[in-house]
Amino acid sequence: MTNCEIIRESIGSWLDGELSPGESDSVRAHVAGCGACDEVRRQLEKLQMVLKDELAGEAARIEFMPFWREVQQRINQKRPWHQELRDWCRDFFTAPRIAWSVPAVIALVLALFSLDSYVPGWRFGGARNNFAAVDSIDAYGRSVALLRENESKTTVIWLYQDQEGENEAAEDATKSGPAF
Amino acid sequence: MELSDSELVKQCQAGEMSAFEELVSRYHQKVYMVSLGLLRNRDDAMEVAQEAFFRAYRKINSFQGGSSFYTWIYRIAVNICIDTQRRQRRNPLDFRESMDSVMEAQDEVAKDPFADVHDRELREKLTKAINELTPEHKAVIVLRTIEGMSYKDIGQILGCSEGTVMSRLHYARKKLQDKLRVFL
Repeated sequence: MTNCEIIRESIGSWLDGELSPGESDSVRAHVAGCGACDEVRRQLEKLQMVLKDELAGEAARIEFMPFWREVQQRINQKRPWHQELRDWCRDFFTAPRIAWSVPAVIALVLALFSLDSYVPGWRFGGARNNFAAVDSIDAYGRSVALLRENESKTTVIWLYQDQEGENEAAEDATKSGPAF
Repeated sequence: MELSDSELVKQCQAGEMSAFEELVSRYHQKVYMVSLGLLRNRDDAMEVAQEAFFRAYRKINSFQGGSSFYTWIYRIAVNICIDTQRRQRRNPLDFRESMDSVMEAQDEVAKDPFADVHDRELREKLTKAINELTPEHKAVIVLRTIEGMSYKDIGQILGCSEGTVMSRLHYARKKLQDKLRVFL
């Protein structure tokens, strides 16, 4: 990785003011003397400016009173029971609770499949065959796959994310980023 | 003297509706901006912003003040946006891109016709490029751009570490830069 490539990884964080003073000085000095990296800085600043202008122009049109009346109406309105139930479920199953449920489910499944090692005569689900199952864990594309090979008594539990997440992870992994 | 957010929250917890009204007046445009940045649709953004304040009101008593009110209300809005986007992805026929009308409205007030064509093209491409990002990447770009929020605050809103915020921002900016290079 060339020096320019390393610096470019940090230009965004530098513009955001999220680098240490030492790192900032080093990026600033490089950008000041490197036309190509200075161009990357300019592009990032323009990108930020265009996006902000676009959204700020729109938000300025939103008047408070009509907005507040709509919010008040929602507050005063009695919601149907199924909507209340949905809200409750959403609150209950959102992170970080769901994050704890992932290792909990894995531990539970492992415990069930290991019972026959500790309890003589125990057979999980009767005469067991080879077993494979895939199930979605949450709304973020995470899934768990469970594979059980009976003869060798091998159980594999595989936690993974959807393709989109994998691509991102792969791309991130190819870069040696700035201290993260 | 203007009351702080946390004082307004306390009044609100004591049943003072006017305190909540003041909080809404302080943040409604910003919450709308975040929603619009994520959803790229005016109607959906308005719906999300109003729903976010409604949910905040219902849960105001459980708000402990561990974080600031604005990070809390943004977190609620971003979560609703992400849910909405996922639902739209599952039902693509319901997905509406009405940022075209946003751009048309902005073009009406543009002055220089040459700059106008270039900017319009840039905004079109920007909208398309942002729509191709995942909800999580959109969220970091929008929160950083609109509020100039610190990575720590963005991490609190999205429930992830500062390192993850930095990584997502870098990835999202690189994607946008690659797609918009000729227009920047």
